[in-house]
Amino acid sequence: MTRNSFFKILIIVLIVAVLGVLSIYSSTYQKEGTQWQDIYKRQMLWLIIGLACFFFFSRFNYRKLWDANYFIYGVALFFLFLVFGLGVIRLGAQRWLKIAWFNFQPSEFAKLAIIIFLARYFSRKSIDDTSLLSGKFGIFRGIILPFIFVAVPMFLIIEQPDLGSGLMLMLVFVGLLYLTNVRLKYIFVLLSAIILPLPFFWHFLHDYQKQRLLVFLNPNIDPLGAGYTVIQSRIAIGSGGFWGRGWLHGSQSQLYFLPESHTDFIFATFSEQWGFLGSSLLILLYYLIIRQGFIIAQRTQDSFGRLLAYGISLLLALQVFINIAMNMGLAPVVGLPLPLMSYGGSSVLVTFIALGILVNIDRTRNVF
Amino acid sequence: MERKIILNLAVILMFVFLITGLLSLSIIQGDKFRRQSDSNCIRLISQSGSRGNILDRNGEIIVDNKISYDVMILPQDLDHIDQVFTLISRILGVEVKELRATFKKNFISSSVPITVATNIELKSAIALGEYKTEQPSIIVVPKPLRHYPYGALACHVVGYVNEIDRWRLTKLEDYGYKTKDIVGFGGVEEKYDYYLRQEEGGLSVEVNHRGKFMRVLGFEPPRNGKDVQLTLDIKIQKIVEENLSGKKGSVIVMDPLSGEILALANFPNFNPAVFVSKRSKLISALFNDPDSPFINRAIESSYPPASVFKIVLASAGLELKKINPSTTFICPGWTMVGARKFSCWETHGSEDIFQAIAHSCDVFFYKTGLLCGAQNIHDYALKLGLGRNVGFELAGETSGFIPSPLWRKINKFQNWYDGDTANLSIGQGDCLVTPLQVTNMLAVFANHGYILNPYIVKAVGGMDFSGKKNRLIAVPFKKNTFEVISNGLARVVSEAKGTANILSSLPVKVAGKTGTAQVPHGATHAWFAGFFPFDKPKYVICVFLENGGPGHAAAVIAKQIIEAMNNQGLI
Repeated sequence: MTRNSFFKILIIVLIVAVLGVLSIYSSTYQKEGTQWQDIYKRQMLWLIIGLACFFFFSRFNYRKLWDANYFIYGVALFFLFLVFGLGVIRLGAQRWLKIAWFNFQPSEFAKLAIIIFLARYFSRKSIDDTSLLSGKFGIFRGIILPFIFVAVPMFLIIEQPDLGSGLMLMLVFVGLLYLTNVRLKYIFVLLSAIILPLPFFWHFLHDYQKQRLLVFLNPNIDPLGAGYTVIQSRIAIGSGGFWGRGWLHGSQSQLYFLPESHTDFIFATFSEQWGFLGSSLLILLYYLIIRQGFIIAQRTQDSFGRLLAYGISLLLALQVFINIAMNMGLAPVVGLPLPLMSYGGSSVLVTFIALGILVNIDRTRNVF
Repeated sequence: MERKIILNLAVILMFVFLITGLLSLSIIQGDKFRRQSDSNCIRLISQSGSRGNILDRNGEIIVDNKISYDVMILPQDLDHIDQVFTLISRILGVEVKELRATFKKNFISSSVPITVATNIELKSAIALGEYKTEQPSIIVVPKPLRHYPYGALACHVVGYVNEIDRWRLTKLEDYGYKTKDIVGFGGVEEKYDYYLRQEEGGLSVEVNHRGKFMRVLGFEPPRNGKDVQLTLDIKIQKIVEENLSGKKGSVIVMDPLSGEILALANFPNFNPAVFVSKRSKLISALFNDPDSPFINRAIESSYPPASVFKIVLASAGLELKKINPSTTFICPGWTMVGARKFSCWETHGSEDIFQAIAHSCDVFFYKTGLLCGAQNIHDYALKLGLGRNVGFELAGETSGFIPSPLWRKINKFQNWYDGDTANLSIGQGDCLVTPLQVTNMLAVFANHGYILNPYIVKAVGGMDFSGKKNRLIAVPFKKNTFEVISNGLARVVSEAKGTANILSSLPVKVAGKTGTAQVPHGATHAWFAGFFPFDKPKYVICVFLENGGPGHAAAVIAKQIIEAMNNQGLI
């Protein structure tokens, strides 16, 4: 039973990761320069490191994260400040830290750190009767305090600027709040406090962010500029048809009509080549991972573990959803990778670590 | 617990949403996106073949193609744009500014070459070609262009070529014509455009997002157009044009046995080469010329036949037995029709039909006409091919017009009077014919009884069509009628007082009829229509001069033509 979830997740993750490598290869093998042509090898290296992390964290007792949570949160914040100060500017955004030979994206780690932090925050128990404190939280301790803890890194991430990851944190936060015993009333207060001033925030958005939102509403406003990616990505997905055009036969991604075809728009690359059949199977695989996460969360007695499992599943689900929806032009274009598929070390590592923690929660469950 | 289930459902909903979106994109709208994807990455680079030649009956070239050179720039190989422009400008003597403007205007994508100069000289083409290795972006492309070795020769038969216009495009789109195609206008170029037209071949290539060439998907070799062989004899055509030159009018030479047009010339004419070199000033001058040089007068305009029409009267009179070869009328220089006095152009005295034709006596034919009746004259004119389309291949043929009492009653609500009959009898009044119809009528008397179907295209792409077109239709006249009239026509030339006596000095025996048509404005139209040699006719000739004076003037031209043909041993 215990081993079950480990293998289920491992197998599905391996399938998805292999599909990811195939797609990265297909979208870059024709480019000039070994730097591009070898990109799939780098991704494979990351996957191996990621798998090692997965195995490590699946053995590493997650309860230790409880103790380390302030430390983790602090480190994440530290890195975000570091990015703020001396990050590498790429694609118009300052999201990366250059460490040794690779570019490290702290916002990916920050997501996980905040989930750990929140899970611990809401699963503290009363000393008197070992009941969950969160049920008794008032509006300040239930909403405002954790919101501040979330808002600081979120602000740093949005300022990078990375609206996608920032919103992601917000959504995970709201999702977790919902799963704790915090009163619904408070959540509504929080939501309305966020949504009502949104028109006001419009002025604080970067021009490109405004443009992306406008273009999301109508990609044809600017077919060669901001709308280009969405139009090309829709063409790529649509031209795949039912069966797809076959591996290495996608003209959209292989002839570079589709920008970012190996990172954020890898779903379109995949879909063009594997069609509706392949894509819907891929979506199903993602769903199976997330369902495993939920199942694990539901059968975990430990409230920290349960919330952590929910948080990780939710994070994955939201990333997959927003990325694929954005590929299909159903969500605004934000710089979010597709977990396990998109090229990028930070994303791969964090996803594997998160899944490792998930498996460990299931494994450790019986201890309590 | 409640909340967990709701969250679970929310996640399921999210994934259902994704699948639905995918379904809509790749299944429902899949075809649309597939097309867009193809148009993203597939480009066609066309290569044109050359248009078919136009040949004369002996295979001599009337119109062919010569290679001209275009200069193109391939943006994808363009490194130093200014350097390239200065180079081209130095060799061709064009301003850099101009080059830059054309380059900018025509830019499509980096894999599509841009034409910056057309029809450059061979010398410059070679000079530019030498820079091939240094400036790989410069491409010199040979392009076949229409070439007219004889200039305006047979221009009305040949027509000209130009970029397709909107009207033709809407009509021809379904047959694979595209904008900017070069198509024929007028004459054989238009009529046989479908055959003459080259088939464009080309490369279909795959390009990437920057329009850079990636690989060749397919190649379709261009195909040249089919040659069209005309029935024209270039030697006769040249003689005819030389002699007609400077006089407004039209000359047709036809084979009286087959209906092959051997020469067809009109003046004023035009040089089709101006459309190739795109000299817009000359072109607009041609279009605005009040003498309408584009009109093919031989078939597109009709004129009163005047005395040439007397042949119809003679046929009607003889066929209806109103007169016979020995009938004589006395010409005192005038005759009374009703209360009106109709005069002859001279006092001829006693005339039989031979003399009447030879002298072109009006009184004789007034009387014959009145005996026959207007409706009969109309019917016989139609039997001889007047007043209806000849069925000629070239577009724009007019049918001419022969009035009749019935027509006038129905259309004008007017009565027909004997005076009208008299007027019709000498080919005046509302009566109109084209030079080609007159030629065709004369052929009936040259070949003794067959009305022909004149044609001008002998073969297309080596396939001989003449057998299909060579249809003879017997005219149901008595043999005697043809003999009497053709003898009369011979006496027009041979008699000392015959109207075309000037032709008697020729070594060949010619028969024919002159005509002098009164017109409301300006000088009279001059006609001469005849055939030769009389004993074994090989040629029918019709000379028509618009406002050219008396029929004698036309006979003079005919004489010069026949003389030149004889000198060249063509008869």
